[in-house]
Amino acid sequence: MTDFSEGCGQLCRELKAAWAIAKKDIRIYYLKPNIIVSGMLFPLFMFLAFAIGRDAPPTLLVPGLIAITILFSASSIEPVSIPIERRTKTFDRLLSAPISLHSVVLGESLSGFLYSAGIALVPLTAGMIIFQTPLVQPAALIAGILLTAFCFATMGTLFAAYPTESPGDIMSMLNLVRLPLIFVSGVFIPVNALPPIGQVIVMLSPLTFGNDLIRAAFEGSTHFNPLVDLVAIGGFILLFQLAANHLYRKFNE
Amino acid sequence: MHAIEAIAISKKFGDLLALSDVNFFVAEGETFGFLGPNGAGKTTTIRILTGITMPTAGTAMIFEKDIVKETIAARRQMGIVHETSNVYDDLSAWHNLMFAAELYNVPRSVRERRGKELLELFGLWERKDDRVRVFSKGMKRRLTLAMGLVNDPRLLFLDEPTSGLDVQSNLIIRDVIHDLTEQGVTVFLTTHNIEEANLICDRVAIINRGQIAAIDSPERLKKTIQSVQSVEVAFDPPSLDRLNRLRALPLVSEVRKEGDKFRLITEDPATVIEGVTAYAQEHQVRIISMTTIGPSLEDVFIKLTGLVPRVKGVKVID
Repeated sequence: MTDFSEGCGQLCRELKAAWAIAKKDIRIYYLKPNIIVSGMLFPLFMFLAFAIGRDAPPTLLVPGLIAITILFSASSIEPVSIPIERRTKTFDRLLSAPISLHSVVLGESLSGFLYSAGIALVPLTAGMIIFQTPLVQPAALIAGILLTAFCFATMGTLFAAYPTESPGDIMSMLNLVRLPLIFVSGVFIPVNALPPIGQVIVMLSPLTFGNDLIRAAFEGSTHFNPLVDLVAIGGFILLFQLAANHLYRKFNE
Repeated sequence: MHAIEAIAISKKFGDLLALSDVNFFVAEGETFGFLGPNGAGKTTTIRILTGITMPTAGTAMIFEKDIVKETIAARRQMGIVHETSNVYDDLSAWHNLMFAAELYNVPRSVRERRGKELLELFGLWERKDDRVRVFSKGMKRRLTLAMGLVNDPRLLFLDEPTSGLDVQSNLIIRDVIHDLTEQGVTVFLTTHNIEEANLICDRVAIINRGQIAAIDSPERLKKTIQSVQSVEVAFDPPSLDRLNRLRALPLVSEVRKEGDKFRLITEDPATVIEGVTAYAQEHQVRIISMTTIGPSLEDVFIKLTGLVPRVKGVKVID
């Protein structure tokens, strides 16, 4: 019983510390007007580059815009903030606190998640107003936005594990992954319209499953079973969290 | 119970052996100085003792908790003041302090009371809502120390606490360290300021090239190198020409000009005093002052680390 309450106490302490790290990041990085504006503008321009001139239905375009907004907003800040904190040695403060590395990774991911989930409301609202796209399955939308945001926030934290004090080093690696993801996730071309090899490759991208859930919110149906989407994104989150924890430990040795 | 027990710690970075079989203990309530030139292994030792870096071999116990196996339990006992003032420039002093307290799971009511006490103690209460970006170096250092104390630690790691600070910050920080030791807090201090270590440490360890070269109280360490006793003398009129003549006196191993005085290093101060007196009479100069000086902790440091004066009268002690 004592072990159990001690375990619960430690878990509670870890969650509180993760929340404290998230609050700190939100105060320092995410609430800056330029960060909020750039979080919306970059995906918007990328969306326009692909959408203008194409005769794609709004039920494909709006979920696509939401998905890439989440991809870029969730994964952009930690790869910048963590190297800067390494340079200013404030990251050592987290590494030397009486908390596990899991809490550090969770806290860093939480802030990106909250920021991204908030930013996603902008293309969602704009899409619903401009394109008059009705919302058919709100639950799928909520699950899609929240899980995808947390997944890519964790991916950003994972890339930031690379032991550098220069954000550019991480961003260049991250973009090598993020940009191709847009093309292999059914964002602009539905998965069922892809060639067979493409339909296999999409399975490697968490964006595929997030986009599938978000599209379900507008189209009412999913390419994969919704449970498959949920499990797949959950699996990617777990994989990224464990990998991030491992890399932060390894690079710190 | 020992506050710290370093047991056969070794650390390799690739082929580089940064620490080799480091053993020492720090008693509870003791102020322990850790001295060494740059690259000697001070920072690596602190990073291992605080659980940031894992040792390649050996371990360390913090109040009987293994820092490798019980990292979190061990860290709960300690406060850490890093060498760099690692505060968040875009947060206020208050938010910095509250964040540090939250990482240590200090309850809200306690952290708010403790935060106010600490900011008042370090003369920062009036600036609590200001962003740290506008703080001076000394104010940031004081805030860093306050953040290290917010969890009421039993053991405080201080990495270069007063390096390059203004007089006011220096005095405040030294007073606080003095008060902490009176309250029984164990202090592990690394410093470049050897005189500071001499004044406030119960014992010091000197580390060089990853190995402990000596551990003892400052006074005992000084006794180990009686060969660097010296006689300090000032003449009227002062003249640089005396340097070579003083070097020629019996049993003088080295002469350094220090300001308007000469320092004659010797194993036998009594014989040198006789020689200096005879020299003054022979050349009809007045001796304004003459003092015998025992070896300083700095002398011990220089001898044990093999450092040499870069130029006459100026020692390299980084």
